[in-house]
Amino acid sequence: MKLTAEKIGRMYFRSGRDTNFFYAVQSIDFEPEEGKVTVITGRSGSGKTTFINMLCGLLTPSCGKVMLDGKDIYALSDRERSLLRNRSFGIIPQGQTGLQCLTVAENVLLPVSMYGRAGEKEDKAKKLLEMLGIDDLWDVYSNELSGGELRRMSVARALINDPGIIVADEPTGDLDGDTTVLVMELLKKRSENGAAVIIVTHDKDVMPYADTVYTMEKGVLKKQ
Amino acid sequence: MRFSLAIACKNIRRRPVRAALMCIIVLFLSFTAFMGGYLIISLQNGLDGYRARLGADIIVVPSAAQGHGTVDNVLLHGITGNYYIPQDSLRKLDGIEGIEKNTCQFYLTSAKASCCSARVQIIGFDPVTDFTVTPWINSNIDSGISDGDIIIGSDIAYPADGSIRFYGESYHVAAQLEKTGTGLDNAVFTNRNTIDKMAHSAAGTVERETLKDIDPENAASCVLIKVKDGYDISAVADDINIHISKVRATPSVSMIESVAQGFGNVSVFISVITVGIWLISVIIIIAVFALMMNERKKEFAVLRVAGASGKMIVSAVSAEAAVISITGSVIGLVISLILTAPLSESIRNHFSLPFMQPDMMIMLFLSVGSVVMPFLIGVITAVLSAFRITGNESGLLLREDA
Ligand SMILES: Nc1ncnc2c1ncn2[C@@H]1O[C@H](COP(=O)(O)OP(=O)(O)OP(=O)(O)O)[C@@H](O)[C@H]1O
Ligand SMILES: [Mg+2]
Repeated sequence: MKLTAEKIGRMYFRSGRDTNFFYAVQSIDFEPEEGKVTVITGRSGSGKTTFINMLCGLLTPSCGKVMLDGKDIYALSDRERSLLRNRSFGIIPQGQTGLQCLTVAENVLLPVSMYGRAGEKEDKAKKLLEMLGIDDLWDVYSNELSGGELRRMSVARALINDPGIIVADEPTGDLDGDTTVLVMELLKKRSENGAAVIIVTHDKDVMPYADTVYTMEKGVLKKQ
Repeated sequence: MRFSLAIACKNIRRRPVRAALMCIIVLFLSFTAFMGGYLIISLQNGLDGYRARLGADIIVVPSAAQGHGTVDNVLLHGITGNYYIPQDSLRKLDGIEGIEKNTCQFYLTSAKASCCSARVQIIGFDPVTDFTVTPWINSNIDSGISDGDIIIGSDIAYPADGSIRFYGESYHVAAQLEKTGTGLDNAVFTNRNTIDKMAHSAAGTVERETLKDIDPENAASCVLIKVKDGYDISAVADDINIHISKVRATPSVSMIESVAQGFGNVSVFISVITVGIWLISVIIIIAVFALMMNERKKEFAVLRVAGASGKMIVSAVSAEAAVISITGSVIGLVISLILTAPLSESIRNHFSLPFMQPDMMIMLFLSVGSVVMPFLIGVITAVLSAFRITGNESGLLLREDA
């Protein structure tokens, strides 16, 4: 699965005193490699989240195109793009993203149940949770979890559909050293199986897993 | 769709307080809709009946009746003080221009003595020409009234054998009328033949000496007149007063209008309250739904991340709102239906307002309306607020704290 960003940029409006708008991301060309782990670092506020949200179809670029296998994903209808996100992208967003009305199992199986084949992947969900060390939380409602447990739950949710592209925003933010290893081993294995894994992180423990490292600075991406 | 419904049910189950709150607002909406409609229609019905009973434009009473023969006394109590219009005066009415319909009524007060079961006002009307009492009686009972039968007002008690004695004779109670809140609740209605018979037996008693001099078949206590369209009512009344002796003609319009206006005010009052409560509830619903959706921005963003389309989120929200709204509005209707009987009873007793319950069709219509309207309002507001939020970019919604 070939993901390509062609000169994408994103402008935001700011209700400040002087300039009303600015570019958080400026005209970036980017092509993550399949089977590789690509790490993006950079200072807080440099535009990393903005950039990867555009990559996975959550945020429309102000300029440029995001192509998946030669198709402009923002030219698709909302329904098509949503289905594409469901099938091809595994997204671990920054911050906590558990649905409180669902149990851990239901949260992990959310992308599956959404398009109607929930039961089929229960075993897989169990196995993922086991690998992440939270299989005992299967029936627990997500508002009763710790930050690190929630984080691992969203990792499992992102991987449940075997996506070809994995986009993770600070996936190890709330995790201790050992758990970080669990998560990173899992992501590394996915890349070895052919997925393109893109990780935004400040975490030094993640660096050993990186095949390629980029740095984001004031909306500009540089290869290291 | 299955997913939307499932997520809606899980949301309701996991947030029972939120769901109950919304349910109560919708319940309130459906309750006010039903009760407001029910009260207004019932009062309007009552007023219409009242208008029909007061449906005469001019009232002609014997001039000797003086203060007894007021419009109020005649129409709402059936009293002219035992004075009667002689036959020659009645005949002259035919010569007056502008009269569309006229009908004679004969009043008799029963004596409070051993000969009669109770002291009441007896109103004899002519079923053939009558246009004031018959429509009302027909709305109360199915069959007409036959000779020897009487129909009694709601306040009159009668023995279990179903008959009442007047001046030594027994009369069969054919029906009892609904409460009107006027003197007519204490009156007895019967046809011309029956009252003639009563008058004959009364003529022999001490209490009704005046009856000796008159022939009941050819006299009347009053004549009720409906004026032809295009004729001036007061002019016709003046005409009668000029040309016919021993009678006094009075237009009844002013009185009907003042009564109608009194009832009209109550209806307006109830309408204003109903509309007011509705407006407030709708505003509350809109505000609550909008706030709730705002609070759920992050939740929607997470669904988006997992691959939900905007449409799926909107249908999950509408499924949730639909379940809550239908529950609320049905409970509201049930409560309303339970309360209608005691409420109409207490309105009749405490306010003495003419109050007639709507018929089955209208009740059904009201019930359906008071479930469907709040349901639609609940669902539409929820869907609109969900639309407003899913219209935002998911990447921006993700930044919202939840
Ligand atoms: N909705 C928005 N409106 C206006 N400005 C925004 C908006 N979202 C982000 N920004 C700004 O855009 C810039 C980039 O934000 P972004 O979240 O992409 O940074 P980041 O690199 O992910 O930071 P962090 O490492 O702290 O997560 C920041 O300066 C931020 O203030
Ligand atoms: Mg960020």
